[in-house]
Amino acid sequence: MEIEEGNTSNTHRVSMRTILFGVVPFIVIGTMIVLLLNSPGILFQSSIKPLPEISIEKVEFLDDSTIVAFVRNTGPSEITIAQADVNDRIYPAAVEPGRTLTRFADAKVIIPFVWNTGEPYEIGITTDDGTRFGEMVNSAAEAPRPTVGQASTFALIGTYVGIIPVMIGLAWYPFIRRLSPNKYNFFLSLTAGLLVFLGIDALLESNEIAVDTLAPAFNAQILIIMVAIVTLVTLLYVSQRLIQRASKRSKPEIEYKPGYSSHSEPDLGTRNTKSSSRSLQQQLLIRPIAISMMISIGIGLHNFGEGLAIGAAVLLGEVALSSFLILGFTLHNTTEGLAIVAPMAKSRRIPLAKLMIMGLIAGGPTILGAWIGGFLYSPIATVIFLSIGAGAIFQVVYSIGSWMYHTNGSRGLLNNHWIIMGFALGMLIMYLTGLLV
Amino acid sequence: MSYPRIAVLFGIVLSVIIFAISTALYSRGSLSDQNSSKLDSFGGHTPGYPTLQTTGDVLDPTSFVINPKTAVVEPMKYLREFNYGKLSASSNGTVIRDFTIIASDQQTKEVSPGVFYNVWTFNGTIPGPTLRATEGDTIRITLMNNGSKFHSIHFHGIHPSEMDGVFEGIAPGGKFTYEFTAEPFGVFPYHCHMQPLEEHITHGLYGALIIDPKKPRASADEMVMLMNGYDTDFDTENNFYTVNGIPYYYMHHPIQIDKNRLIRIYLLNMLEFDPLNNFHLHANMFDFYKTGTKLIPDEYTDIVTMNQAERGILEFSYKYPGKYMFHAHKTEFAEKGWTGLFLVKEGTNQSINENLNVTLTRNSTNYSISDFNNTTDLVSTGGVN
Repeated sequence: MEIEEGNTSNTHRVSMRTILFGVVPFIVIGTMIVLLLNSPGILFQSSIKPLPEISIEKVEFLDDSTIVAFVRNTGPSEITIAQADVNDRIYPAAVEPGRTLTRFADAKVIIPFVWNTGEPYEIGITTDDGTRFGEMVNSAAEAPRPTVGQASTFALIGTYVGIIPVMIGLAWYPFIRRLSPNKYNFFLSLTAGLLVFLGIDALLESNEIAVDTLAPAFNAQILIIMVAIVTLVTLLYVSQRLIQRASKRSKPEIEYKPGYSSHSEPDLGTRNTKSSSRSLQQQLLIRPIAISMMISIGIGLHNFGEGLAIGAAVLLGEVALSSFLILGFTLHNTTEGLAIVAPMAKSRRIPLAKLMIMGLIAGGPTILGAWIGGFLYSPIATVIFLSIGAGAIFQVVYSIGSWMYHTNGSRGLLNNHWIIMGFALGMLIMYLTGLLV
Repeated sequence: MSYPRIAVLFGIVLSVIIFAISTALYSRGSLSDQNSSKLDSFGGHTPGYPTLQTTGDVLDPTSFVINPKTAVVEPMKYLREFNYGKLSASSNGTVIRDFTIIASDQQTKEVSPGVFYNVWTFNGTIPGPTLRATEGDTIRITLMNNGSKFHSIHFHGIHPSEMDGVFEGIAPGGKFTYEFTAEPFGVFPYHCHMQPLEEHITHGLYGALIIDPKKPRASADEMVMLMNGYDTDFDTENNFYTVNGIPYYYMHHPIQIDKNRLIRIYLLNMLEFDPLNNFHLHANMFDFYKTGTKLIPDEYTDIVTMNQAERGILEFSYKYPGKYMFHAHKTEFAEKGWTGLFLVKEGTNQSINENLNVTLTRNSTNYSISDFNNTTDLVSTGGVN
């Protein structure tokens, strides 16, 4: 916050009156809260007990003879769990840590039950006022245990789905470097199209989880938008700072060759443009790599969410991971590698090791996500990660757009048919490869 | 090249934060895996099902006993409790039986272990008290309405229109005396008949009236069983099914009976929402007297199915000692509470003598021998009939 006051000596010493004026509303609010809480009979009769609400967030099937339901109190007040059932038939059970749950507290309900693989089950929890909450599991499957074997299986899946496709996509680097400006723009906008698709996909998927699995108490849908926007503006800020700092440090030895279009002035918040041409050249050098790095991070977050989804799907018994499905993911995610290398096509040659690091940043989180999703699945965490990924991706799209705008001499983006075609084709490719998954 | 390094750092920091959040979200859950000094066992009632240990709370409606102070009824007490009323004689010598029933609708009681429900009751319990009279007696039942809504008692049986408990509701705080002659003999439900009927019945305003024939039935170990259910979450589907008010009660408190002793059950169905209910007896057969209005059994069977308000009398005795289940053979109901056990013990001499008595005094029933393969079985069961 900047305080815009002429008299700087006054701004340092905040007077008692200022503090008082700032605090008065809080005192009023505090008094009101105390009054309301201490005189419930006067204003509001609390004879009506608020309706309880329980979310069954996850159901695990263990050892052929135990079902574990992870429940959370998502209602407005404390609740007590009274009974548990499987397919609407009451069974003995245990609740850990205890049957009384404060607001938002969670518990494990353990039901000894001989279950059959592949059959649907509905798990029900009844609270002490007789309200029953059910959760349907479409197909019972043994829950993955965090063993070395299972962890390596998830790592292998993550490698196939995340790292290998991205690395394959990175192999387009030399091809992209040899393209003419228009074709380069085409591929950049294709990247933007791919990313916009991924961003929307992440938002839709998190919305689906929010609606299907999360209790209304979490306000998860607004949380998605909020997290995505906060991530977007935070990453915009971080990337600007990165570029600024890098500009200050780097020496003016520049390999960049203006080549096709570099007549523009930088629009950025660098008001003290004493050496605008130098700053521009630096930016033109630095920004592609920074953009690629931001794309790697954004895609990394996206793949983390994808990993969570894959792990959770295995856990929830929703998919049998077949080679066909992995092939689909591979094709789908190869385009992500292309997205990473596209901005760097006209910059200085990037060492292979750096490319590999970017590939790992983008693809590696799939493994981490699969572990967390498979062993510690949480719908709220999945929603948050997917939203972060969406925000990160939209930041990258902004960076690419801004980059193309400046390298095109600020002549606009939407009047170039290569850009429009690339953008549309990027989304179409994602849609079509997405059908395979 | 500092910028990629910064970006890499940023990525690492973000991953760490992500991991920290997800771990924090689950730290609570994994805490419970730690060993604690207090361990309870649960499960294992069913063959093949594991018995597990927990540090948490055990939920087990099949073996937990409700505190009688909060329970909606004490099923063991209800089972053999018959209210004969306050006796007096009219000028012409007719026996008058006076009963007092208090209706209430504002209590919350435990209907299944840990589950509390706003119950509407006659005399504070579900089912209400079992009233008993002999054919020809004058029955006088004073209903006092201690509730917040209009209530009434509608008796099945023969009586004048104004004693039918349908058109005249008793206002909160009011009272009314129903008076009629006990006729015919049999088993009859009584229940509140105010609108909405479904609401008044499903909340618990019902009970049994037994009218004995003038010449008493044979001596027996008599009990009442009233089948009902509770829709505790108001979705017009029952969450619990019971016999005598509390799910699974007779599983952990088996009904003790003597071997070879004649058992007579007055069975009624007051289940709301579900069109059918039934009673199935294990390892035995019973004589069934539909509605209890005849002295000759209608059927010799091990299962009887009833709609709401249907009822009858079951008579049987056990040949072998041991534990025997009885339950609804609608397995959904059985597995939501309508299950119980008889514990048959070696009988005392007295009960055997009584049994012989019964054999002598009662009419023999004609069975088609071709229906049964084992004649000795028929003879021994027939002896009880």
